[in-house]
Amino acid sequence: MLKKIGYKLILLCATLFALNGIYNFTLFEKDAKEFAKEDLAIRNTQDSTDIYYFGESSNITYANDDSLLNSISEFCGYFYPSLKITNINKFATHAGVYRHWLSAISLKSKKPKAIIVTLNLRSFDAAWIHSKLETQLQQALVLTQPYPNLVNRFLLSLQAFDNKTDEQREKEMLSDWENTQLKFPFKFQYATVKQWDNGMANGGHLLADGTWDVKKIELACHFIKGFAFNLNEENPRIKDFDYIADWCNKNKVNLYLNLMAENINFADSLVGKELVFLIRQNRDYLVNRYNNNYCEVIDNLEVVSGHEFIDQTWTTEHYKYKARMKIAKNLANNLKQKFKKEYYKAY
Amino acid sequence: MLFNSLHFLFFLPIVLLLYYALLPKYRWILIFISSCYFYMAFVPKYILILFLIIIVDYFSAIAIESSENSKKKIWLVLSLLSNILLLGFFKYFNFFNDNLQQVFTLFGKDFHPVNLNIILPIGLSFHTFQSMSYTIEVYKGKQKAERHIGYFANYVLFFPQMVAGPIERYERLGEELKKVHKTVYSNFSEGFRLILFGLFIKMTIADNIAPFVNKVYDAPQNFSSQEILAAIILFSFQIYADFYGYSTIAVGSAKLLGISIMDNFKTPYLSKSISEFWSRWHISLSTWFRDYLYIPLGGNKVTLAKWSLNIMIVFMVSGLWHGANWTFVLWGALHGLVFILEKYFSKLFSFNVNEKWSLMNVVLVFKTFIITSFIWIFFRAKDFDNAKQIIKGLFKPDGWSLPNTQLLYPFLFVLLIILSDVLLYNSRIDFKLSRVKPFYRWFVYGILLFALFALSGTNKFSFIYFQF
Repeated sequence: MLKKIGYKLILLCATLFALNGIYNFTLFEKDAKEFAKEDLAIRNTQDSTDIYYFGESSNITYANDDSLLNSISEFCGYFYPSLKITNINKFATHAGVYRHWLSAISLKSKKPKAIIVTLNLRSFDAAWIHSKLETQLQQALVLTQPYPNLVNRFLLSLQAFDNKTDEQREKEMLSDWENTQLKFPFKFQYATVKQWDNGMANGGHLLADGTWDVKKIELACHFIKGFAFNLNEENPRIKDFDYIADWCNKNKVNLYLNLMAENINFADSLVGKELVFLIRQNRDYLVNRYNNNYCEVIDNLEVVSGHEFIDQTWTTEHYKYKARMKIAKNLANNLKQKFKKEYYKAY
Repeated sequence: MLFNSLHFLFFLPIVLLLYYALLPKYRWILIFISSCYFYMAFVPKYILILFLIIIVDYFSAIAIESSENSKKKIWLVLSLLSNILLLGFFKYFNFFNDNLQQVFTLFGKDFHPVNLNIILPIGLSFHTFQSMSYTIEVYKGKQKAERHIGYFANYVLFFPQMVAGPIERYERLGEELKKVHKTVYSNFSEGFRLILFGLFIKMTIADNIAPFVNKVYDAPQNFSSQEILAAIILFSFQIYADFYGYSTIAVGSAKLLGISIMDNFKTPYLSKSISEFWSRWHISLSTWFRDYLYIPLGGNKVTLAKWSLNIMIVFMVSGLWHGANWTFVLWGALHGLVFILEKYFSKLFSFNVNEKWSLMNVVLVFKTFIITSFIWIFFRAKDFDNAKQIIKGLFKPDGWSLPNTQLLYPFLFVLLIILSDVLLYNSRIDFKLSRVKPFYRWFVYGILLFALFALSGTNKFSFIYFQF
């Protein structure tokens, strides 16, 4: 009987092997487009790419009254007309997503000369770490594992990944806000995000008539939740970027951490100097940690003034075209060190 | 643990290897441990509820057997009450409070009960009903009280069917669990076929239908009458594929251990009447209600009026068994009503199950399907308002347009399940396949495997009946 079972198992494996071939030929591309569009885009463009621009919504969000509807990566491309800069974009991405995208770059093909990784400070906060969008990322991860594609597709159906429910993720986020102690080199009345948020929510901004300015309070609370944290090596996104830096270092690919601008003036006027302190401290942490031979941090944190942000009632990194041009120029100038020959003064 | 999880696909082979490696007399220990592990993958602490059921019913049965007349009854009532109270506490406490609050409001009084903020222990309705059937049978003298607590625990806990049935009787499953099962090749091949087919039905068919149905039921106002009609039809197949898939995997998993458990479905949508539908749908629950509620109420040996009342009671209780919501009660009541009407107009709806397929039979099948599909609205809707929206939406004056292309895929799967039902009418996939030549059999495996691996739904959907 064991022989019979063994024979049937071999037949089953052979059948699955054949079915994997059929799947690769028929449905894989459709699934990859649906669940791992960016991975597929990287694979399809690698041979023609000199520089990858990994971006999030900051790159492709435009204001209604923008005279120019070019993305940051496109503006940057004008400074390097002889280089092919391929733009891979996804909304609300973070270092964990970019880390995954690296796995789509084949080391056997032509390697890119540089990778520009766009990050904003909020992508290191608890809300993004425990974001509901993580499930989508996990699906992409499963589908692009180094197993046969048919097996990956089945694992996707089996939800064989870190598939937490929205409620679980929210619980973890709230727990971080409640339990992670904020560190300041000076005395500050709030020890956690939750305390700070509560403090702000209970009368942070008063109007002249003595009532609460609800809109301002709401926005201030968002700033607190988005930026009140101390970066350290325990942060999962720092671990992700460490991996990206190591990968680039090992494979001799230049890496640029393109740190996006934040509305510092708003943070100051709405919340106060303590939050601005944390924002700058976190920026300094990234600069000190990652500036080295293979990696350069392009610090755009304060290059955009408040009125150049598209959203004036929310915390985003969406800029009007002049601000996008400024960031692109800043980026292009930093690339000049490694790509001096290809540089052209576009504006 | 879900059958459609990677966890289970590792768990089952490990259990099988250990099971056949062990001496038969120790296998019950493995079944007990693996069943506990299986259940504890959901909410570990809830295993204590199952232990409580086991202890109460194990000792009650022995007490019933060794007592005389009135004492016997007291033990039975105690056992049944403990099961019902457990079920009532976890499943109906908040429902009872909410209704009480509404009654108070009706009389202009304030009443603010404290509701429980707990998750319903998975499959509680199934364990309690299964365990209750055992003590009732012991009371009736049809079943000897089990002296080995391990065997009895396995009867309540047996992992393939513990969370969503089939609701087995001790006479059958209890004895199966005690038998020494030889390692027989046919158990493996049949078990494999059933699991493969069950996973295909659940993951490829039900899970591909579910997203559209969910979207429509979540916001019917955003959909046209055609789309709402499609969602109603699709839900009929979704719930069937979901539960039929689960039951088939359960039967297959047990078969791998050499244990036979009953079939819970027999192509129910090919029924020509509602009464036939209930002899083919969730058979283990229908027979439970028949034996332990319908017959004690008098069965069919009463006047037509009393019989009608009994039928309504049975179906409404069955509705309530499914969920603590009046929508379920109405779902049951409507089934009861149609059941009674069929009896009254029995000449018009008369049929013979052995009769060959004819145009009239096709019409009757179609009629039964329309009725059940309509009644499913109350089962699926989250409340009466939602059900009302769905029914109203059916009659929206939005005219007829080209069908939504999103529906093509789900309806293709519906065709597949209809085809499979027609082919498997009064049979089962494993039996049917065993009669085909190996080449064709492997061709079918290939199709099922491809559909399962490459076409399964990608959203997380638990088995619908797990919530009961």
